[in-house]
Amino acid sequence: MTYPVPIIYDGDPGHDDAIAMLLAKASDNIDVLAVTTCCGNQTIEKTTYNAQRVCTLIGLDVPIGMGQARPLLAQPMTAPNIHGQSGLDGPRLPEPEVGLSSLRAVALMAKTLQEAERPVTIVSTGPLTNTAALLLTHPELKAKIERISLMGGGIAHGNWTPAAEFNILVDPEAADIVFSSGIPIVMAGLDVTEQALIYEEDFDRIRALGGEIARVVAEWLDYFYQFHRSIGYIGAPLHDPCAVAYLIAPELFEFQDYYVRIDTHGEFTRGATVADINRQTGIAPNARCLTGIDRQGFVDLLAESVRRLSHG
Amino acid sequence: MDKHFVWLDCDTGTDDAAAILCANKLPQLQIVGISAVAGNVELEKTYYNVHRLNRLMGTSYPVYRGAEKPLQRDLETGYRYHGENGLGGVELPLPEKIPETNEPAWDALYRTAVEMKGELELIATGPLSNIGTALLLHPDLPEYLKRIVIMGGSSKGGNRTPAAEYNIYADPHAAQMVFDCGVPLTMCGLDVTLQAVLMEEDLEQIGALGTPAAKFFHKELLVPLRTQECGTGLKLHDVCAVLYAARPELFSGRPAGVQVETRSELSIGKTVTDLYSDKKFGFQNAFVVLSLDRAAFKKTVYDLIAQY
Repeated sequence: MTYPVPIIYDGDPGHDDAIAMLLAKASDNIDVLAVTTCCGNQTIEKTTYNAQRVCTLIGLDVPIGMGQARPLLAQPMTAPNIHGQSGLDGPRLPEPEVGLSSLRAVALMAKTLQEAERPVTIVSTGPLTNTAALLLTHPELKAKIERISLMGGGIAHGNWTPAAEFNILVDPEAADIVFSSGIPIVMAGLDVTEQALIYEEDFDRIRALGGEIARVVAEWLDYFYQFHRSIGYIGAPLHDPCAVAYLIAPELFEFQDYYVRIDTHGEFTRGATVADINRQTGIAPNARCLTGIDRQGFVDLLAESVRRLSHG
Repeated sequence: MDKHFVWLDCDTGTDDAAAILCANKLPQLQIVGISAVAGNVELEKTYYNVHRLNRLMGTSYPVYRGAEKPLQRDLETGYRYHGENGLGGVELPLPEKIPETNEPAWDALYRTAVEMKGELELIATGPLSNIGTALLLHPDLPEYLKRIVIMGGSSKGGNRTPAAEYNIYADPHAAQMVFDCGVPLTMCGLDVTLQAVLMEEDLEQIGALGTPAAKFFHKELLVPLRTQECGTGLKLHDVCAVLYAARPELFSGRPAGVQVETRSELSIGKTVTDLYSDKKFGFQNAFVVLSLDRAAFKKTVYDLIAQY
């Protein structure tokens, strides 16, 4: 990778999205050009408001483009049981001091790509609605997209259904467009993100760094941790930050390159990321599927990111 | 020792043949009937292949013809893996006299199950078309079956497609009926069968036993060995199902909810399990076998073939 990696951050914040944004902002290896929002964890109004609040908190001053209110074809679906009614329940956050771009998400993505001097990575931590819409409406900009690093899917399993992970299940048609696009994909699926676990001692360590950002991040993690403990996890899986952490520190990850297709029609498999793990198809891989993580290294990266944003 | 009375339903098939050879010598199993189904090769071949094995083994198990094709889909055979004759190209002679019967597999299975008053266990190592048909024609069949052990499915990726294992892919509609039928069901899918590996030297060692059965075992399995399916080594998929029925202590697994995908072109025939997801189906209709003691597996297979 050539650093710093210019990115468009597209997500549906969300606790783990917020932490992904923080990692991106704190890293010298990443240059955030724009933020776009999509509906997923909560409605588009709420995820957009959350994006503004998170940008305000972490001092990320870039254009924010609001996405559309629903997936390409599917009915909207949200996850209030995980992220709360606001989509980012838990600590009090500053009111937004950053406004919204006059451009909607897809138009902002297009403008950002057009103006970029070198190809841009799209980081997607929500449903792939915006990126798919971009590819449908601006096929000429494909060459300006270096890769798409996304949190979504799972080689072997789902979380929202036995076969499908939430982000892909919310907009499988969009995911199909993205995975069929020919653009290199980094897939941080459940295979890796359920290993990216945060424990109590980790957020205690972050809280001890002091300052508002550290306090808020620790409380987000605590909130996320308590929820996941209640459904049987031993820690909080930090799904979305994996998609950013791979760009910052790929050496923290193990991966396999697979040909992956999205199931859009199944009765039980809609939204599944079907990976050709036994190399049946003879088709070249389209996705780098992250399969393992150095958990301690990942936690250290998170703590260091919070420290840098808090204390420079 | 309590014997398990078992009915084998096979699409013989190189590894089906290996499974039948093993089942015949497992002291825990008493084979009471064998039905043939189309799958790895066409029905006429799978049917006569069992007769050929009867001759090789010196047995006279009753053999029945079953389905010529899956319930709703066209037959997709596996010549590449099994050879055109289903036995890796090895020519085995037929018995001099073949007891022909007009009783189809599904009726014979049902009749036998009723006669055995609930003691019969079913081991199916091919597409589940015969069992699906039996369930359609004899809806009370589940009351008479003690358990079903299948080779089929996978809780992860497939071998016929990225999503689906061959037996379930071949007849997903029949498979869904079997998973829904209420009989205690054990699924020996790719999770475990990809661990049931013999290397070429293991096969040679068995062939060196020198008996006709051992030499057949060695030679017919060279074809699937050389396909390098899912990595090096020969995967004795179907042997897992018969060995599980006799020696469950060699295996481990977990109960799960399993649904068979029948509507998606991409995932048709996938056995969707809820083993790894937060979201569960709300019922557990199968015991999914996930691992085996590979050294014990290898030794057991060797010891069984050595009995010929």
